[in-house]
Amino acid sequence: MLKGMAVTFRYLFRPPITVVYPEQKRPAVQPRFKGRHWLTLYEDGMERCVGCELCVIVCPSQAIYVKAAENTPEHQVSKGERYAEEFQINELRCIFCGLCEEACPTGAIVLGREYELAGYTRASMIYTKPMLTEPYPGSSGRDPGREI
Amino acid sequence: MSEQPTVTLTIDGKALSAHKGTTVYQAATRAGIEIPIFCYHDRMPPLGACRMCLVKVEKQPKLQTSCTLEAADGMVVYTDTPEVKAGQEAILEFLLINHPLDCPICDKGGECPLQDQTYKFGPGRSRFVEAKRDFAKPVSLGPALVLDRERCILCWRCVRFGEIIAGDDALKGFERGFSSEINTPFTLPVQSKFIGNTIAICPVGALTAKSYRFISRPWDNRPVQSTCTLCGVGCAVEFDVRGERITRTRAREHPAVNDIWLCDLGFFGHAFVDHTDRLRRPLMRREGGFVETTWDEALSQIASRLGRTSGPRVAMLGGARLTNEDAYVATRFFRAVVGTPHLDHRVDARPQSPDLAVSWGMGTAIADLALADCVVLIGCDITETYPVLWLRMKQATERGATIIAVTPKALEIQRFVRWQFLHRSGQGGAVMLALADAVRGTAPREAPQGIDRTALAAAAKALGSASRPVVMIGRTALDAPDGWQMLAASGEMCRKTGTELNVMRGKGNAFGATAAGLLPDVAPGGRALADAASELRQAWGSLTTEAGMTAPEILDAAVAGGLDVLFVIGADLANDVPDRERWRAARARLPFLVVQDAFLTETAQMADVVLPALVAAEKDGTVTSIEGRVQRVRAAVSGPGDARGDWAILAALAARLGKTIAYSGWEEIFNEMRGLIPGLGIDERLPVRHPPLGKPSEPERPASAAGGFPLILIPGEALFDRGVLTSRSPTIADLAGEPWAMLHPDDAGTIDAADGEPVVITSARGSVAVRARISPVVLPGHVFLPRGYDAAPVNTLIDVNEPVTFVQVRALAPAAPS
Repeated sequence: MLKGMAVTFRYLFRPPITVVYPEQKRPAVQPRFKGRHWLTLYEDGMERCVGCELCVIVCPSQAIYVKAAENTPEHQVSKGERYAEEFQINELRCIFCGLCEEACPTGAIVLGREYELAGYTRASMIYTKPMLTEPYPGSSGRDPGREI
Repeated sequence: MSEQPTVTLTIDGKALSAHKGTTVYQAATRAGIEIPIFCYHDRMPPLGACRMCLVKVEKQPKLQTSCTLEAADGMVVYTDTPEVKAGQEAILEFLLINHPLDCPICDKGGECPLQDQTYKFGPGRSRFVEAKRDFAKPVSLGPALVLDRERCILCWRCVRFGEIIAGDDALKGFERGFSSEINTPFTLPVQSKFIGNTIAICPVGALTAKSYRFISRPWDNRPVQSTCTLCGVGCAVEFDVRGERITRTRAREHPAVNDIWLCDLGFFGHAFVDHTDRLRRPLMRREGGFVETTWDEALSQIASRLGRTSGPRVAMLGGARLTNEDAYVATRFFRAVVGTPHLDHRVDARPQSPDLAVSWGMGTAIADLALADCVVLIGCDITETYPVLWLRMKQATERGATIIAVTPKALEIQRFVRWQFLHRSGQGGAVMLALADAVRGTAPREAPQGIDRTALAAAAKALGSASRPVVMIGRTALDAPDGWQMLAASGEMCRKTGTELNVMRGKGNAFGATAAGLLPDVAPGGRALADAASELRQAWGSLTTEAGMTAPEILDAAVAGGLDVLFVIGADLANDVPDRERWRAARARLPFLVVQDAFLTETAQMADVVLPALVAAEKDGTVTSIEGRVQRVRAAVSGPGDARGDWAILAALAARLGKTIAYSGWEEIFNEMRGLIPGLGIDERLPVRHPPLGKPSEPERPASAAGGFPLILIPGEALFDRGVLTSRSPTIADLAGEPWAMLHPDDAGTIDAADGEPVVITSARGSVAVRARISPVVLPGHVFLPRGYDAAPVNTLIDVNEPVTFVQVRALAPAAPS
């Protein structure tokens, strides 16, 4: 018992590991942290997502909805023939397992580091394609020149 | 079949016996042993093109393709030895040399045999690092079909479908070796009525549907088993539904009806269901225009109008779009609640024509068409009206059956027709009489000019010696100026050959409407009204059991001011009736018109109240096919806005008239119908009433060309048209193209019309503008104009009081340079 109490006393006089969130924040999460989703772009601004719906079928909590459409020469959204016309993720349902990122054949969907995802309504937690698409190539923190 | 010699072989240690002549692949599949394969399709003979089905056979040095290897006695076969596995892996590795790995964007991904078999039998990696074959893609092969040549593994299924199943040779293989590709033989777009089937049997994503492109993934779809109601064949279909939308239609296997095939109308013709033009709320006419209203108000107005009107001054037309249950409740509503006997679904029938004297439908079973040894098509363009039946006939021709056609326009299938008698308008009867005489063995009467007498005699001989003949008469014959004569001669021919006459008439659920009693002179089940009266009274309460007016008579009565209220349910009279002028006159004298439909049709635009109804893909119930088969339809989607099912509308209306029509659902109606309609049951065939043949023909009036109208109009059918529904199914509207008319090159020459150029067809009644198609499939002096194009309605040209419609055709050529 003395041994156990010694451990307790040792920690009693060390600075606490917990932080007083949200007043205090840790400087950064781990690189492997899985936070909010981003739909990433290629360097030239083309969307990586081809609307294949593999993330939809792999998602264990059925949080993703994709509706695909066809690229035309006048309206080329992604490389190839197909792109996602609609892309929605229900962030309330998402369990941040990262399977969508693993399944994605083009590396379009990635889980970022942002974890402050609270909202006041349920509807605001359904992220639509404009919310999910990264504002400019690389803004999600991933190298836009990567292959996948 | 039991006398067939059998052989015994061993596959993977299992001793099997198989009929002599079966292949090792078939024997293994039957025993539940899986052998991967691409090129073989069980509806077509073996080919041995893909080399995927390799097996090891003892005492044979090399691996063998099991699909072409005939099972022999004592054969010992292995499907899973390391040697076989190595062979399978090598073949898949080869197939994937050039097959792109674009499964994520391929419409076949998720239901792709190549994908599945690569996972199951493939090597998992490829040793090929070279660049893959690079073709421009996708290639559009017409309004329905998209080809991706990179994905094609050259299994030849689509090519062989066109050769063996459909007979239209729509797709062919071109080039050799590395550059081999599939394409259309002569022209774009691909010429076929069955191209959707090639999409279904393609084992990769090389052939995909334009209308389904990237719409959905296989796992998004909820399949709903239903029945196609667009023609009368009643093919079993499966609607794939994503959310509240039918994404595509697929064939469902039904050995007695469509086997595993569909026509393109069935594949692509259901897009109208979620069209934005669908009616969502009831409409009422106020101050000349329509206003949206509530069901309550619309039904109240109709009920108050009906309450002020005596029963027999009300009539009902239409019903081919309804389910059996809808039609039955409509019969009950009009006979028992309104008290009128004037109800008829045959709105497109020509007055005084044999159309109204015969009962529509086939006595011959659809499946038996494949066993026929002689098929006679009398004014029946089978591929334009009931296309899937042609696939059965094609099977019969493969077995050596003879096809005889009597028609004013050469058939699309004429390559397979042994004797085609292309006759002038009004001479079909004479041809038929001569043919019937020849069958009877008496010396044939004088054959009409231009008809080969020896051919006639040979055709009659083939028919006379046939053991399983099938005779079909179509609308072109029944509506012809000598329709009675053709019917009588056809009946005579049937009596002589001991077969029955199949009346190939009626679209949608016309047969269900007949069975449910939507006829003026017959009770449900085809029974006489007097016989069924007491039973009906027990089920429905008081009702009128007298015989009413037929559809043309109802129009006549309306023209004479003898009607106060007309209900039009699921029909577009303005375009369906044979003579548009009469409909206009009738409408002008009608005080109150109610239209119950899914779209604001031309008829609905003239109505006083329009009620929005559901279509077959939104309803549960049953429908009846041309062979009398009763099949289920299931609600795939729930329908737009406030639209309601037809029987529910009539039941609600009955309640407002103080009568009760209460059913909990279609099952209760169906059960009540079973008590009144003998033989009614799911997937059972209702008997077709036999037509009373040899009716006295109406006095034939000699038709003579009036001055200035030198050509004879032949109205006919086209599978792809632009009517109320088809113009709202984009693929069908594209396949149909602009309205057209067929002219003989001689006639086109005299008016300087060029192929594809606009012409105006004028009769004494009116005129339509169409594009000319110039071809010798019609005889000189005739113009073929398809019905079903709402932009060029045939019925504006026709005066039903004249047996023949004479027209003139003028080319709309640009003004000649001065």
